[in-house]
Amino acid sequence: MRDGDALDNNPHVSISALEAIHGQVYGWALSRCDFNRAAAEDLMQQAYVEVLSGNARFNNKSSLKTFVFGVVENLARSRFRRVTSRLRLLREHAGSLDGAVVEAVLPDEGHSIWPAVKALPPRQRDIIELVFCRELTIEEASGVMGVSIGAGRVHYDRAKKALRVRLRETGVNEE
Amino acid sequence: MSEANDDVRQQVVRAWRAVDAEKFPAFTDVWRRAEARHAGARRRYRRVAVAAVLMAAVFVALKLQAPSPNAVTYIEVAELLGSTSWTAPSDVLLPRHEFDIYQELPGLLESTRAEGGSLL
Repeated sequence: MRDGDALDNNPHVSISALEAIHGQVYGWALSRCDFNRAAAEDLMQQAYVEVLSGNARFNNKSSLKTFVFGVVENLARSRFRRVTSRLRLLREHAGSLDGAVVEAVLPDEGHSIWPAVKALPPRQRDIIELVFCRELTIEEASGVMGVSIGAGRVHYDRAKKALRVRLRETGVNEE
Repeated sequence: MSEANDDVRQQVVRAWRAVDAEKFPAFTDVWRRAEARHAGARRRYRRVAVAAVLMAAVFVALKLQAPSPNAVTYIEVAELLGSTSWTAPSDVLLPRHEFDIYQELPGLLESTRAEGGSLL
């Protein structure tokens, strides 16, 4: 595939194809950054830079959406590591912190299933988001998360079970 | 079981819709900024590369100009002959004894006084 607006350093990626998945990429980036909009936008921008420069090269082995989600995930992880190490340095050199350095801004706590989703372990929450909301298959979601398909299935099953239990406990049954 | 799954799925999707309903930044804006960032990074990389090449060139030029301690040097024969002289090792004796033993024979000491049957 080589569209008219294909990228020089990534011939299998076209700008129009990226634009088509832009909203979903933003949603994924948002959940990678604890729903901090500025951080999500920066993360998405950095992901596009990686694609533009060819540092992240798409070779048509998966769908473009899976590929871009994977780039966002990897960048978020490395950013998280950087932030963690900086926080550690801060703690070492600044003595005690008041705990307000990183503040999570969640979008809508009003929906009653949200606390149940939030309470899931990170891997389970990720696979639930990818499969339910981003419409990836378990295989694709596992690829994005960098785990084996078997591990992905286990996370998915456990997440569903945990959600069912929590929903039953809280009696959530919204229309 | 499948119905329960569907119910969970629908509710999660509905909850997540609140997240997705967030107004996301326009693709063109984000893309333009990404392109600017990429171009800036490329410019910086090019500047660093040019600086590295220049430094390497300067280093090589300086290295070429400075004579190496092991470099082969050629001897100019005329210059060598004009700048060297040879003196006999015995010349050091000349100022002390003030005669040239090759040209002036020193006078032999003679004694006329006999002492015990032999000359002193």
